[in-house]
Amino acid sequence: MDIPEFIIPLIPWIRGIVGLSLVGVIFLGAMGAVWLERKLSADIQCRMGPCRVGKYGLLQLVADAIKLFTKEDLKPRNADSLLFNSANIFMIGSVFLMLVAIPVGAVFINGVEYPLAVTQMDISVLYIEAVSALSIFGIFMIAYGSNNKYSLLGAFRNFARMVGYEVPLGLTVVSVAIMTGSLSIVEISSSQGMLWNIFLQPLGCFVFFVALMADMGRLPFDQNESEEELVAGWITEYGGMRFGLAFFAEYIHMILGSFLVALLFLGGWNVPGFVANNSVLGLIAPTVFLLIKVVFVLMVIIGLRWAVPRFRIDQVVDLSWKKLLPLALLNLVWAVGLGLYLGA
Amino acid sequence: MEEMLEPNEMIIHLGPQHPMQPGPFRLNLKLKGETVMDAEVELGYIHKGIEKILENKTYLQGITIVDRICYLVALTNEECYVGCVEKLLDIEPPERAQYIRVILEELTRLQSHLLGTGEFGGFIGFVSMLMYTIKEREDLLSLIDMVTGARITHSFLRFGGVRDDLPPGFKEKTLPVLNNLKKVINDFEEMFHSDRVYKERTVGVGVLTADVAKSLGVSGPALRATGVPFDIRKNEPYLVYNDLDFKVCTETAGDCFARVQVRLNEMRESIYIIEQCLDQIPNGPIFPENSLYGRRTPVMRVPAGEVFHRVEDPRGEMGMYMVSDGSDKPYRVKVRGPVYPTLQALPPLIKGTTVADIAAISGSMDGCTSEADR
Amino acid sequence: MDVTEILKSLTGTFPEAISEATAKSEIRARAYVDKEKVKEVCQYLKDSLQFDHLCSVCGVDYIEWNELEVVYHIASYNHPVVLMLKARLPRDNPEIESVVPVYWNANWYERETYEFYGIKFKNHPNLKPLVLPEDMLGEWPLRKDYEGFPNKTARNLV
Repeated sequence: MDIPEFIIPLIPWIRGIVGLSLVGVIFLGAMGAVWLERKLSADIQCRMGPCRVGKYGLLQLVADAIKLFTKEDLKPRNADSLLFNSANIFMIGSVFLMLVAIPVGAVFINGVEYPLAVTQMDISVLYIEAVSALSIFGIFMIAYGSNNKYSLLGAFRNFARMVGYEVPLGLTVVSVAIMTGSLSIVEISSSQGMLWNIFLQPLGCFVFFVALMADMGRLPFDQNESEEELVAGWITEYGGMRFGLAFFAEYIHMILGSFLVALLFLGGWNVPGFVANNSVLGLIAPTVFLLIKVVFVLMVIIGLRWAVPRFRIDQVVDLSWKKLLPLALLNLVWAVGLGLYLGA
Repeated sequence: MEEMLEPNEMIIHLGPQHPMQPGPFRLNLKLKGETVMDAEVELGYIHKGIEKILENKTYLQGITIVDRICYLVALTNEECYVGCVEKLLDIEPPERAQYIRVILEELTRLQSHLLGTGEFGGFIGFVSMLMYTIKEREDLLSLIDMVTGARITHSFLRFGGVRDDLPPGFKEKTLPVLNNLKKVINDFEEMFHSDRVYKERTVGVGVLTADVAKSLGVSGPALRATGVPFDIRKNEPYLVYNDLDFKVCTETAGDCFARVQVRLNEMRESIYIIEQCLDQIPNGPIFPENSLYGRRTPVMRVPAGEVFHRVEDPRGEMGMYMVSDGSDKPYRVKVRGPVYPTLQALPPLIKGTTVADIAAISGSMDGCTSEADR
Repeated sequence: MDVTEILKSLTGTFPEAISEATAKSEIRARAYVDKEKVKEVCQYLKDSLQFDHLCSVCGVDYIEWNELEVVYHIASYNHPVVLMLKARLPRDNPEIESVVPVYWNANWYERETYEFYGIKFKNHPNLKPLVLPEDMLGEWPLRKDYEGFPNKTARNLV
């Protein structure tokens, strides 16, 4: 559509405002995810979650954020200042770099699809993979820089886990890209139509989901922060808002991981044709569909945490190299065959 | 242990304040990567000096103190102490009092096993298990509260009987709770048997054979899980256990899975015992009528002598050795707790395993540092 | 095994080390043992009479007779008899042989008796305080002439 003349010099400002509001929306989303986790875990454990601060405990996170802001910022005497102070930047930075490429919805105007992403790249799936690995730097920096043996043990376990699970994660994503014929997440999502990728590659979805849970560090894979053995693992020495930022970074990572699952395997924002051509529904229905799928995946991830015990670290490594990697390779072969068949 | 560290070994303290432990004790570990090379337990963070205190209090005041040796199983501690004094005084409680004591002690055993199983689930990362068992435990604590007036430290037993009778309507309130508990135990067992991750964490972990367990001196569910049917309620019956029909639960594997299974089976046996008691309990006095001292006599002189009395605590064998010199205060009381040999056996058990297994092993042994330190 | 048989076999094997062996009831027996021969008696109990469970080791302070006593309670996993062995020690220099080579779990019991009464156990692998802090070594709190709080509980309290 034509852009009026007077808006062109304002475009950088508009981009800045949209970017900042996106940051605000994502933080609100993270708070919503934390609220969902606390209420859902309380439901599973036969107790009430937060129920006093605000209706249904919705303002509990605001109270927690106020508490974290007003805490003293402690640093152990022998901790490495550079690593300790700058580790948070890597964690939050990695999450926001991922956010840039993931579309959070779409609008259909006159039947033409406009995905809502900050940028649309041709290699966005590869970019997201690469950038999500940046958060590992943050975790290692905290663990090594704390001068604490518990954190060190947590860092050792992190190494073993990350190395094992990045490979199946990458392989399943590449399988989906091969079958679709493109590395751009927008194209993968919109080319699914009504036949979602989970029906075409069920094994790939399963492997991706398990590898994603291990990547995010959620139970049953949270050995690096297992409270019962290592006090708080890699984040033992962090307090106050440093901990708050790392905590939020983990939940934003969880939300973005759910977005990935929904976009790659669950059909993204695809709607039936009659909805897309409708002028009003076309504006809101695709985004709402996508958000419903994301919330569903979030609830599965949260519920799984409270339903199973935790693995031992050697069992985790065993699982990744001996069981998940062969399945991912099998899925790759299947995807190549399926891609040739569908292309032909 | 501090000398001669190789380049990739380090010493770590699972210290007095730790989310994992059932009480404060310090565990010094020498680690190589994740494997434990050497371990040492240091106690004394919660030492209250109970044995010295008991020498300066009268026998009746001692009941409140003995309650606090391990606050979770207070009634069993009281039973041991009161049994010692009754042997010295040579009196026997009337039958109704004995049945009331058995009912309360089996309820204590139920809630202690529930908490032990739940804590074990919490240690391996299964936090929901802890919440479920605590929820079930609330019903049992309300039942005990109805009879004794307190949830943990009761001061209910007296020399020759009990303090008060069962309230009216106790049987009608207990039976639904026990029926619900039977279903819950079946649910737990099914959850444990069908959970693949749980089995990987517990089967084959912390294996004790019968000979090793006997020489280490452990008793209770840890010993019965290796196949030795040693239960003081059968070997040396006290109170009315002779008239009750129950069996001693054993398993043969000796690992963490077997210990938890023994506890679940013992819970079923305890429910059966309570049901029998509620059927068989006779009407009668709860305190002997022709005794020298009444229920509330503050000062009583116990004839001189010495005695050693053992009872079956939920964690194992508890014993008390009492020496009396004819005055109104004990001359010497030695408390032999069941958790003492369990904690002593922890270093040899965890050598060679990983840090993650320490949590599983010490949780399945069901320790209570308060009892070890006294 | 019967309690009278056990006592007869015990007094028969160690006629000069065991004295005043009595059976208090069907399942309780008591005997005084000479402090030099404790380890051999325990070895004999474990090997021949099936007494393989050491319940506890404790000390008692008899201040009127100027004696400390070490009391061993030994039981069995197979029969219900509990044997109480007592060894008398002089109060000014109490020393006795350790039974850790025979019963492994006597380790902590003997450490505790040492720090509460001052009884030295010879050939103990690791005789240091277990429950009390290190700076209370030498106070022997459970003896009857211990003065107690506030002067003697712990030194260097600010």
